[in-house]
Formats: sequence, structure tokens, C-alpha cells
Amino acid sequence: MTDTPPAPSELQVAVCAACGTPAAPAARFCEECGAPLTVASDGPPESPSAPDAAPMMSGPTRPARAGGDPQPGGGARRPCTDCGGEIDPDGYCTRCGTKAPLPRDHMVEAPQRWVAAVSDRGLRHHRNEDAAATAADPAGWAALVVCDGVSSSQSSDVASLAAARAARDVLAGGRGTGLAAGSALTALDAARLVAAAAAAAGAVEDVTRAEHGDSPPSCTFVAAVIDGDRLTVGNVGDSRAYWLPDAGEPSVLTVDDSWAAQQIAAGTGRAEAEAGAQAHAITRWLGVDADDQVPTLTHHRLDGAGWLLLCSDGLWNYASEATETGRVVARAEATTRGDPLRMAEDLVRWANEQGGMDNITVALARIGARTHEGDPR
Amino acid sequence: MTSFTAAVYQNEYLADGSTDVHAIVTVECTGSGQAGQSGAGAAELVLIDTSGSMGQQGVRAAQDAANAALDQVVEGTWFAVIAGSHTAGLVYPVDVREGAMARMTPRAREEARYAIAGLRPDGGTAMGTWLELAARVATSVPGVTQRHAILLTDGKNQHESPQDLDVRLASAVGVFQCDCRGVGADWEVGELRRIASALMGTVDLIPRPDQMAAEFASLMRAAMSRGVAAADLRVWAPQGAQVLFVRQVSPTVEDLTARRREVNPLTGGFPTGSWGDESRDFHVAVRLPAARAVGQEQLAARVQLVLGDRVAAQGLVKALWSDDSERTAQINPEVAHYTGQAELAQVIQEGLAARAAGDDRTATAKLGRAAQLAEQTGNAEATSKLRRVVDIDEPATGKVRLKKQVDKLDEMALDTASTKTTRVRK
Repeated sequence: MTDTPPAPSELQVAVCAACGTPAAPAARFCEECGAPLTVASDGPPESPSAPDAAPMMSGPTRPARAGGDPQPGGGARRPCTDCGGEIDPDGYCTRCGTKAPLPRDHMVEAPQRWVAAVSDRGLRHHRNEDAAATAADPAGWAALVVCDGVSSSQSSDVASLAAARAARDVLAGGRGTGLAAGSALTALDAARLVAAAAAAAGAVEDVTRAEHGDSPPSCTFVAAVIDGDRLTVGNVGDSRAYWLPDAGEPSVLTVDDSWAAQQIAAGTGRAEAEAGAQAHAITRWLGVDADDQVPTLTHHRLDGAGWLLLCSDGLWNYASEATETGRVVARAEATTRGDPLRMAEDLVRWANEQGGMDNITVALARIGARTHEGDPR
Repeated sequence: MTSFTAAVYQNEYLADGSTDVHAIVTVECTGSGQAGQSGAGAAELVLIDTSGSMGQQGVRAAQDAANAALDQVVEGTWFAVIAGSHTAGLVYPVDVREGAMARMTPRAREEARYAIAGLRPDGGTAMGTWLELAARVATSVPGVTQRHAILLTDGKNQHESPQDLDVRLASAVGVFQCDCRGVGADWEVGELRRIASALMGTVDLIPRPDQMAAEFASLMRAAMSRGVAAADLRVWAPQGAQVLFVRQVSPTVEDLTARRREVNPLTGGFPTGSWGDESRDFHVAVRLPAARAVGQEQLAARVQLVLGDRVAAQGLVKALWSDDSERTAQINPEVAHYTGQAELAQVIQEGLAARAAGDDRTATAKLGRAAQLAEQTGNAEATSKLRRVVDIDEPATGKVRLKKQVDKLDEMALDTASTKTTRVRK
């Protein structure tokens, strides 16, 4: 393939995805909140030289806004979701004081109809430190990235979003495979994922440098690249990838870098290990204080239809075993007629119904024919 | 260019089920300029006690003090001088055809000096009459909105019932601000504090008559440097919430809660008087209508500094419910400090009142607690003043003994200084 998707530096920025402030042209950081601006909010312009094979490379990220105000900071004021009162420009209701949801609290993207991601604050955390970034073409290539910010630091929400997008841009930017085949292809996929993780780590480092807090931000990393029937997955930390085939056994494609995973490896049952007090202590992460940021890679051949799911622990805490995850995803598929975006929203809603104890991020890609009739949506 | 800033100090994390939110809001004013920039200029009134108890020497010192004050009044400022005894009389301007205030000029200053020189001690003390006349004089020039007075007395308000004082004082509330000074040891701190507090001014003790002139000059200099005529603190709280109190806590403790004027059902305005280049701290406490679920956030108060209807600065007081007890259990250091300082003022006043009433047991307990709080909050001035009234055995536990012999002036100094606070040690 010889497609030439736009390089990350060419992507235009319309609004800051972290706070919704319109960004100046060529600005690298948001003037309002300081979040890095790396990706178009309405997708990059179509590359005029894009070949037929991949005419619609895109990586949109649309922050969902309560009340549907399309122009943040301008136009009519949004009503309060709690009491219907008016939201003050300071972000709180003028009647009941409820905090209006921030764009960062619930982020949605769907670069193609077969790929979608939703990242949500959940119920118990005060902000969304998870992030997702995706890119896809209609022909069977996609990149999905999920990062989960570690909440002890001041700007983990900024870092996780910057990391996910930096990784996605690397994966989308370096696509061509040239004449590689067989094991050379595998090696190329591997190198690309390692480079993506390094870019994510670099983005976290940039945010750390822009900050001067005493606890540097850090985050987990899980990424997948689908290219036809080839799937490559890499992870650092405890965000996961699952393969949930329409027929056959669901499986977890990643091994957590966590205390719980170490216990499981040593023979403790999964349920017991993941219920432990230290279950959520991760042993590897991206951040300036991390020793080892190289993702653990696995390669797979997709020989049937099914769902690729990437998620943060905000989801898998409620469905850890692959068979259980498979059941939850199948139920979401049934109620949404298999539309990935609606499925992702449904899975987030389900995790919130289970308690929403953590931020919840779900990225989905549909592989092969749909099990449900008709077009999604 | 005048500008205000507001900063909020609070622990916004609330434990599950909690509804009370406390915050310290620091409001700072810079670039205020000189008094009298707004409206038709500023007005300054000097009210001096010329009752018989002042004696020849006392009146002479009061004359010097009045002159020292007028020397600081910027030219163009409206002014008047009032002499008070059991009645009140306008000393200057003498010719009242053009209204009861004159504009300061070198000539007016000379004329005023001449009129003041003619004062003689005579009669009793009825401060309400002084205030009543001052209120009439102060409103005699239309368009003058920044009005300030200095009141001097040496005695108790013996020739007026407390009820009459209240009625006459009420006529002055909101008309002018008044710094009150008592000279010697024969006046009553509580009485003068009540007047100063109602008129948004300070109260203090001048031990000897020869110290009056310096104090008056300094008071007038400060008044002339207040370029902002009036500002309100506005506090918004959510529907169903209760504003428990709004209290100025620095530079002095002053409870503003009862001064609320409704702006709208959710917002109250609290007058704060005129401002120079200075910083004041306010303690705002709000009880929210209900605790929300862990993870939820809401605004507990919007605290604004308002000039007329213009919002010059705003601070947001927030509530975030959390199940992280390490976060929710912390008391914000500023809130803790000023809670202690407000209690310090209260226990000093209650302790001295008990001592005066002969209730030594209560006095010992209250003043002991005061010694403890002064130690804890690092209020060295309060500690040193307390030491002149009690022997402090153990500051940490508040173990004190009442002194047998106490100089009345020391006791009064402790009383007048009780509301002065120290800032948080950073």
C-alpha cells in the first residue's frame, strides 16, 4: 500500500478537546487550559493524493457537549442537566450549583462505521483521566489506543489524552508496508507499536515538563493495529485488549502489568487476586518516573468475524473474565444492532450502572460481517 | 486603575453525607488611588469630645488632634468639625449658608483652626447627638458618596439612654463610616465598639492625651488613601442552601451576616465600606441543602466583590464529595487559623466581661482558652496583651491565673485589640 495519510503536524485544530476553547491556528497548547493541541476536532482534511484504497483516513475526536451547544463560550447558555437552570460562564448552574459536564468528561469518536470509542468520567471520580484515540479507513485498517491516567497526579487527564493521540498519530502516520511480507510484516507491525508507545511516553513527558507539580503524570497504554487479517496488540499497565469472536472462545490478548497479574501468574485465582487491596497497583506505566515503557506485544491472525475491544479497568472491573466480557459485549451488540458507537456508549452506561467507580473507556472495532441484519445506525 | 482579585482557600472535598462548606476568600485591592475620585468627592468629619471631663488640658490635646487630622485632608475634600458634649454643635464651617460642609482650601484650613481654638470643656456626654448631627451634615452636599468620620471621646455615654443612642446611631448607619477612639481609661470599650462596628470603622484606645494628634493624623492619612468609595461583598449560595455566616476575619474580625441585603433570593450583598490598597479576608460558611453522591461536584458559593453593580472579582467555593478520607479529613489551614482567631476575639471579650462582673471562674476559663488560641494561631500581640491581665502558666493547655492587680488601660488595650487578627503563617 502506498497511501499517504496526513502527517500529524498537518492536522488542523478547531477547539481544545480538553476544555472546548477555540484554538488559535498553529497553536500547540490551549490558551485556556494548557492542554496540548495535537489533533483535529473535526478530522483532518481529506488528503488530495489519497489513493483509492484508503480515501477516507480520519481521526476525529468530538467532545460530546451537554445540551448540544456547538460553539463553546458563545451563543445561548446551556441548561443545567440537574434542575434546568442556567449555566453561568463559570461552569456552574446559577440556581442549584451543579457543575456542568466538561467536554473532557465524556468523549466520543468514530472514525469509520466499524470503529468507535467512548471515554467517560464514570460516577465516582471528579474528572476523566482516561482517553481514547482511533483512526481507521473503510477498507480494513484501523488503529485503536486507550490510556488510563494515574490519578495521583495533577494533570493525568491532559497526559493520557496527549499520549493516546500521539500514539494514534504514529500508527496512522507510518502506515505503508512496502514490499514486506510474512515475518517482515510482523516485525514492521511490532516496530510501529513500539514507536507509538514511545511517542505516547514522549507526550506524557512533554506534559510533565509543561507542569511543575511534584507528582509527574503517568498513564497506562494499550494499542491495537488491525490491517486486514493481521492484528498487533501492545500494552503497558492494566488497560486491556479482548478478542470476542462471534463463534468460539473469547480471549484476553494482554497480560496486565499489575500486582494482581503477578499473583495470578503465581497461581492465585483471578477473582481472588483482583479483589486484593493492591489489585489495582500497576507495575509498569508511561511516565518520566517509569523504568520500562516498552509495550508487551502479541501478534494475531483474525480468521473469523468478531469484536476487538480495548478498555480501561473502569469497564473490566465489572467483567474481567473473557467469557464474562464476551457476554456483556454480546448483550450490548444485541440492544444496539451492532453499531460500534452505540455499543461503546451502551457498555459505558452499563459500567456506570455497576457503580461507575472509575473512569470508563471503551474502544471497539468490528471485524468481518455483522451478525445483525441491516446497516448500523 | 483600580483592580480587585479574589482567591479562595478551602478544602473542597466533603465526606459522604457532609453538607457544610467553609472557605476563606482573600480579596485584594490595588491601584485604588486617592479618596474622592468618584461622585462629587469625599467628605471628612472630625467629631471631638468637649465635655467637662476633658478638662482644659484634654480639650487642648483634642484641638491639636483635630488640627493634625485636618492637615492631612486633601484640598477639595468636603469637611466639617463637630464638637460634642450632651449636645452637638457644628464648629466649622461657621457660615452654613452654602451647606454644612466646606471644601478644603488653605484658607478653609486656617478658618477651621481658628474656630477649633475657641472650644472650651463643658457639659456631659451624649454621643448619639453627635452622630445624628454628623449624619445631617454629611448628607448636606448632594453627590458626595464617600463619607468618613473620626470620633473622639473620653467618657461613658452618660447623658443619653441606650435606646436613644441606638435610634440616633441608626440614623448614621450607611451614611458615613466612623473610626472611634477613646482617650484615657474612663470610657467603655463595648459601647464604642458597638458604634464603630455599626458604622464600619475601627475602635482603639489612646492611652494619653498627647498621643491623640499622631493617631488622628494617621487615621486621616489612611482615609485619604481609600480611593474606592464603597464595595459590597456578594455571596451567592444554591437554592435551598443556608449561608451560616459571612465574617470578615482580617485585618479584624467583624461578623457581616446580619448586614445582608437581598440582591436576589439566592444572593446577598454585604457592605464592606471604602477600600484602599489593601487585602481583606472573609470567612464564608454555607450549609448545602443535601449531600450529593460521592464523585459529584457542585458550587457551594460564588463570592464576589462588587462596585455598584459591576463584579470586580469573583471566587468560587466548591464542594466535591469523596470517599477518600485522607482528602476529606483535612481542615484547610486558613479556615482553621481564622476559626481560631474569631474564637480568640470572642473569648477575650467574654473573659473580660466575666472578670468585670466578678465571675472569676468564667473569666479564668475564657482567658485561659484565649491564651491557648493566641499561642496556637501565633498571635503574639494578643499573647503579650493577655500577659498583662493573666499569668499564663501553660499556654499549650490554657492554664492561667487572673492577676490581682491589673492596670485598667491594659485591660482596655486587650479588649480593643481582641478583634485584630494575624494572617496565616505560610
